Amino acid sequence: MGMRRLIAAAVVLAGMAAGVLPLGAALAQETARRGGIVGYWDYSDPARLDWMIESALSNQQATAGVYSGLLQYDPDDPEQIVPDLATGYTADADGLGFAFTLRQGVKWHDGRPFSTADVKASFDRMLDPKVKSPRCGALLKDIVAKVQYPDDQTVHFRLKFPAATFLPSIASAWCRIAAKHVLERDGDLQSAKSQIGTGPFKFKRYERGSIIEWERNPDYYDPRYPLVDGVRQYILTAPARQMAAAKTGQIDLWYPYPPMTKTQADELRKVRGDQVDIIEWPVNNVWVVFLNTTKPPFDNVDLRRAVHLALDRQELFAKIFEGVGLPCAILDVKTDGAFALPPEEVNATPGCRRPKDQDIAEARRLVARHYPQGLDMDVLAFAYSNQTARAELVVSQLRKANIRGKIRSLEYGGAYSAIGRGDFQMIGSLNTANFVKDPNGLVSQLYISKGGRNFGKWKSERFDKLADAGVREIDTAKRIQIYYEMQRMLLNEDPSGVVMLGREYGYYFRDKRLRNYHFAPVMYDNLTFMKSWLTK
Amino acid sequence: MTEQRVTAAPAATATALEGDTLLAQAVSGARFLAKSQPLGVIGLFIVVVLCAVALFAPWLAHYGPKITAFDTYQPPSAAHWFGTDHLGRDIFSRVVWGARLSLYVGLASVGVGVTLGWVWGLVSGYFGGWFDSVSQRLVDILMGFPPIILALALMAVLGQSVNNVVLALIVLLMPTAARTMRAAVLSIREMTYVESAQAVGCSHWRVIFVHLAPNTLGTYIVLVTVNIAYAIVVEAALSFLGLGSPPDEPSWGGMLTAATESLERAPWIAFFPGLAISLVVFGMNLLGDALRDLTDAKLRGTTGAE
Repeated sequence: MGMRRLIAAAVVLAGMAAGVLPLGAALAQETARRGGIVGYWDYSDPARLDWMIESALSNQQATAGVYSGLLQYDPDDPEQIVPDLATGYTADADGLGFAFTLRQGVKWHDGRPFSTADVKASFDRMLDPKVKSPRCGALLKDIVAKVQYPDDQTVHFRLKFPAATFLPSIASAWCRIAAKHVLERDGDLQSAKSQIGTGPFKFKRYERGSIIEWERNPDYYDPRYPLVDGVRQYILTAPARQMAAAKTGQIDLWYPYPPMTKTQADELRKVRGDQVDIIEWPVNNVWVVFLNTTKPPFDNVDLRRAVHLALDRQELFAKIFEGVGLPCAILDVKTDGAFALPPEEVNATPGCRRPKDQDIAEARRLVARHYPQGLDMDVLAFAYSNQTARAELVVSQLRKANIRGKIRSLEYGGAYSAIGRGDFQMIGSLNTANFVKDPNGLVSQLYISKGGRNFGKWKSERFDKLADAGVREIDTAKRIQIYYEMQRMLLNEDPSGVVMLGREYGYYFRDKRLRNYHFAPVMYDNLTFMKSWLTK
Repeated sequence: MTEQRVTAAPAATATALEGDTLLAQAVSGARFLAKSQPLGVIGLFIVVVLCAVALFAPWLAHYGPKITAFDTYQPPSAAHWFGTDHLGRDIFSRVVWGARLSLYVGLASVGVGVTLGWVWGLVSGYFGGWFDSVSQRLVDILMGFPPIILALALMAVLGQSVNNVVLALIVLLMPTAARTMRAAVLSIREMTYVESAQAVGCSHWRVIFVHLAPNTLGTYIVLVTVNIAYAIVVEAALSFLGLGSPPDEPSWGGMLTAATESLERAPWIAFFPGLAISLVVFGMNLLGDALRDLTDAKLRGTTGAE
């Protein structure tokens, strides 16, 4: 054993013996190795790869290591924002502008030089009102007044108002930079041949329904990275196949969606024992029921409220997630910090409190007021993952309030098409992830009147004003109060077109031979494997 | 004859005696059936049990098929004979209610599909010529599709509902029935009694429905019994693939789909609906084989094994 390893071992042992050195820090003392291929998986086949105009996690996973942004969340500590293609930034004195200095000497994977023209082409596209950019565009369009390029090393963003969400948005995995010449050549980034980035990995191959593979970019701007030779993402849509891959060691990591259930985690523990680290982790994802507020019956607030009161979130979480997760919570203390209402307050609100008898009686009364014989309605269910089973459980619970749902199960594309046409009364179950490390990410998607996932088309002037104030306010204490008011309004007054069921948690594993991988608070923000390495 | 000897007896006595006679005939028929087609009797028994379960589902099932009030993944016990599923539903109750759905799908699709195919085959076989050629090419086209693919395509277009499953099955069953019935008609239409009917001036439709149809009844009955099993399996397959009955309906195939994710943890979720499908298909096939043997002149009077 070399002197360096002896020292590392001594540090680890001393730290562990003292009980003060976390395991992650202990492992960080090891010497990183180069080589090897990370085995990973994707829960669905992304098909379309243009992350600028797509929004699915599978799309982000497929391309995460291929591109870089101006800033990024540090793979060593995904809570922290660090430079990427920008070496740094300076804020204008009035807080309304940020100037980013671009890194020099960076090359695209096809050898062409990276320049401000690429940054301009990317932000022009994502901020174009005619281009529907559901992630980065949705984050920035309302707050960015203009983007200027004063010289060939600087990008300057001028904001409409001081916005606490700006830097987290720029660092988001959805706000990365694509090559101008590729956008001009291909028109978009949908196909595999368009995947030319500046990131740590080159896009190697994509076999539909089977595998996505990246290989190490030898010309990456930071010559220390990446450490592994490549990443293989197996497209595993069947839960049984996913578990088989975990048990046989085909994959080194289970993250981010869907998480393992407790039973699956126990199964894996039995098979792989101490070869894997298994953790319970917030998915930063809400489980919701959507109500179409543009037509009967849910254009009526009484009936929206009846659904809100009738659903037994604790039972739903017990059955679907084996008791793991946060029923009723809109924001989560673990991922949203002080912006989340205290759980004791949430759990005392009508619809969430126990026992349910009082709320179900009130729900029946509200239904009877408008539908004396009970309400019959159409329930749209997504025929993927276990969304249909979740919808079945929701429908079953609503019968107690004399609301009878008839499930119409559609595959992914068909369901979104029906949603686009407004052809539904209720969406029985759907998940929405927060895609930026700020509570506004969720609010701006689900609740504001022009929110990209406000499928029920709920409109509330008061809520829109609150949400706008939440984005503009830069005093954290005042922001917290604004978000409290929003949550209280949704929980106590009008449950909107989004009936919140709660925050999903689950179990993940990391093969112990995969080192220096850290689970991120936002599921999209640490999928590059840039600083990870393998001991096998 | 018994009726002649009791004509002077009071009406009540006559009815009782007629009842006795019918009972005696039924017993005698059953003895004959048991002797000549023992497997058919087993099939008949299974089918009768299925019908009884379907008919009396509200009384036999302990709970509603959609009630999710129980703990999930409970193994079979005195409270839940077949255990509970992933949503906390009583599997026994769902299997019982599933019998009703399976029987409805089987009877409705086969009743309509095979009957329409029967008429199609009769007309096509009787008239022959260009009408026969055209209609049989249509049959060829429909039979050219793999059945499950055709059913999946139809369900994708029609949308998920029990009645749409029936409609898809009708489209699947009709051409097969038409082809089979046409083959039977081709031989019968050359018979002298058909020629005689035509010679005395019977209309085409009278020949078809009065002279040809009754003589293809045996084939029709066999087609019905065999295809009920087929329809139940196709419904189960469509539901298993997520394109059959709506997901919360207690379809045996749908129950199997839900069980795939918990086969190791709770095998009973798959076992009981699987057993129900197997038993019913087995019973229907035994009955169908027996009826075929009974209506086949060559095999009539022998046991199926001979």
